[in-house]
Amino acid sequence: MRRKYGFVAALLCVLLLAGMGLTTLYVDSGKQQEKTDLVVVTSFYPMYIAANNVIGDLEGISLQNLSEPQTGCLHDYQLTPADMKKLQMADVFIVNGGGIENFLSDVAANYPELIIVNASENVELLEQEAHDHDHEEDSQEEIPLQEDVYLQETENAHAWMSISDYMVQVETIAEGLAAADVSHASGYRENAARYRQELEPLAQEVSNLKEKIGGGSIISFHEAYDYVAKDLGLTVAFTLNLDEERQVSAGEVAEVISAVRDGKIQIVLAEELYGSDMGETVLKETDAQVIYLDTLVSGDYEKDSYKNGMKENIRLLKEAFAQ
Amino acid sequence: MLEFFTAWWDYGFMRNAFAAVLIITPLFGLLGTMIVNNKMAFFSDALGHSALTGIAIGVVLGISDSLSMLVFAVVFALLLNKIGRKSAASTDTIISVFSSCSIAIGLAILSKGGNFSKYSSLLVGDILSITKREIISLLVIFAVTFLFWFAAFNKLNAVSLNRTLAKSRRINVRLMENLFAVFIALIVTLSIKWVGILIINALLILPAASSRNIAENMREYHFFSILFSVFSGLLGLIISYFTNVATGPMIVIIASILYFATYFYGKKL
Repeated sequence: MRRKYGFVAALLCVLLLAGMGLTTLYVDSGKQQEKTDLVVVTSFYPMYIAANNVIGDLEGISLQNLSEPQTGCLHDYQLTPADMKKLQMADVFIVNGGGIENFLSDVAANYPELIIVNASENVELLEQEAHDHDHEEDSQEEIPLQEDVYLQETENAHAWMSISDYMVQVETIAEGLAAADVSHASGYRENAARYRQELEPLAQEVSNLKEKIGGGSIISFHEAYDYVAKDLGLTVAFTLNLDEERQVSAGEVAEVISAVRDGKIQIVLAEELYGSDMGETVLKETDAQVIYLDTLVSGDYEKDSYKNGMKENIRLLKEAFAQ
Repeated sequence: MLEFFTAWWDYGFMRNAFAAVLIITPLFGLLGTMIVNNKMAFFSDALGHSALTGIAIGVVLGISDSLSMLVFAVVFALLLNKIGRKSAASTDTIISVFSSCSIAIGLAILSKGGNFSKYSSLLVGDILSITKREIISLLVIFAVTFLFWFAAFNKLNAVSLNRTLAKSRRINVRLMENLFAVFIALIVTLSIKWVGILIINALLILPAASSRNIAENMREYHFFSILFSVFSGLLGLIISYFTNVATGPMIVIIASILYFATYFYGKKL
C-alpha cells in the first residue's frame, strides 16, 4: 500500500527531472545569440533569402526564419510555441502575403506592436485557378472567408516564382526595413539594389527564352508555376494544384489527361515532391513532357540559393523547349 | 536557472494553454475512469472523429464550427447509444460503422476543392486556438461535470456494474448512459481543437488505464487517474514549449510512459 504511493511519487519525480533535464540540454544547445538592435523574422524560405540579401553584412541585425526549412509552402503550417517566441522577440516580421501565411491573423492579434512587412504589397498577384471546372461552379466559394486582408483565398500568392515579381518583393522588403530601422535605411536600399542587379541577368535570360518560345500552352501541377508561365508568356491551360495534403480524385486524373490530349499540350510543369506520381501517369498516358521545377521554398540558407535554384529551373525549361 | 523555466509565463498564449490544461486534464482523468470501466474506449474515439463531420456541417451551413461540432457530437453520441441498445449487432460493429461513416462525410466535405489542408491542424491540434473565451466555457463545463459526478456517480457505477441490478434499484439506466455520453461529447469537442482528433482519445484512456494498473479501490482509481492526467498535461505542455514539439502528442507520450511504468509495476504486485 505505502510502497505504491512511493512508487508513483518516485515515478513522477523521475519523469519530471528527466523531462526538465533533457529539455535543458536541448535548449542550451540551441541558443547562443548575440545582442542585436533589430530582430527581423521572416515567415518562410523565399522571404528569408530575400531578406538575407537585403540585410547583407549590416551590423546589429539578427535575421531568423520562422518555419523549418523543410516545411515548404506554408498553406498548412501551424505556428509552434518556438515560433511564437521568435515573434515575441521580433521587431519586424516579413511575410509573403497573399494568403500563404494563414496564421497571420493570429500573429497580428497576439502582437499588435509587431511591424508586418507584406512583400507582395506592390505585386499584382495572379488570380487563383478554380480547382473545379464548369460542372461545379456554383459551389466554389462556400468556405466563409475570414475578415482579414491577408486571407484572400482567391489569389495565387506564389509571386516569388516570377523573377520580376520577386525583384519587386525585394524592393518592398528593403523599403519596409528602411522604414522600421531608419539608421540602416541606406544600407538596405544599397543591398537591395545590388541584389536586383544580380537577378537582372536571370530576368534577361527568361525574357530571351520567352521570345524564343513565342507563346503556347502548358499544364501546371502547382499554382506556383503559373508565375513561371507568366514570365515565359505561356498560357496555363489547366492548373491542378497538387499541394500538401491534396487528395486527387480519379475524375481529376482523367480530366488532366484529356486536357493534355485535347489541347495538344507538350509541356507539363510539376513539382518533384507532390506532383511526381501524377507526372508519371501523364508521361505514361500521353506524349507530353513533364518538367520537374523547384518551387524554391526550401533549401540551404545561403544568399545565392534563390539565384541558383532559379538558374536550374531556367536550364530545365530551356532544355525542354529546345526539343 | 529558475528564471529560465518560468520564462514561458510571459507569453499570453502559454498562460491560456496552461489554464486550459489545468482545467481539462482533471476532467479527462475523471471521465476516463468510467470510460475504461465500461469498455467505452472505442466509443469516445468515434466521438472524437465525429468532430470532422461537425466542422464540415458548420462550413456548409456557414455557422461557427465550434457550435456545429458541439451539437453534432451530442446528437451523434445519443444516436449511437440508441442504436447500440436496439441493434442485434455487437456494439463495436455499430460504433465502427458510425465512426467511419462520419469520418468519410467529414473528409468528403472538407476536402472538396482540395481545401483539406486548411483543416489539417484539427488532426494534430493547435495550441494557439485556445482563447480566453474557450477557457471560460471550459470552466463552466468543469463545474458542471464535477457536480454531475458527485450527484450521479453511485448511479453511474451501478449501471456500469450491472444494468439489470441498476434497473431493479429504480435507476433510470438510459438517462444515465445518455447523460454520460453527452458529457464525453462536450469535453471531447471543447478540447479537440488544441489536442487534435488523432490523439484526443489517448488522453481520456491512458490516465485511467494507468491508474487501473495500480489502484485497489474506487477512491485510488480516481485519485491516480486525475493525478496522472494533470501531471502528463502540465509536463507535456512545458516540454513542448521548450522543445518545439506539438503539445498534444507530447502529453500523450508522457501519459504512455506512465502507463507502461504502472503496467510493469502492477504485474509485479
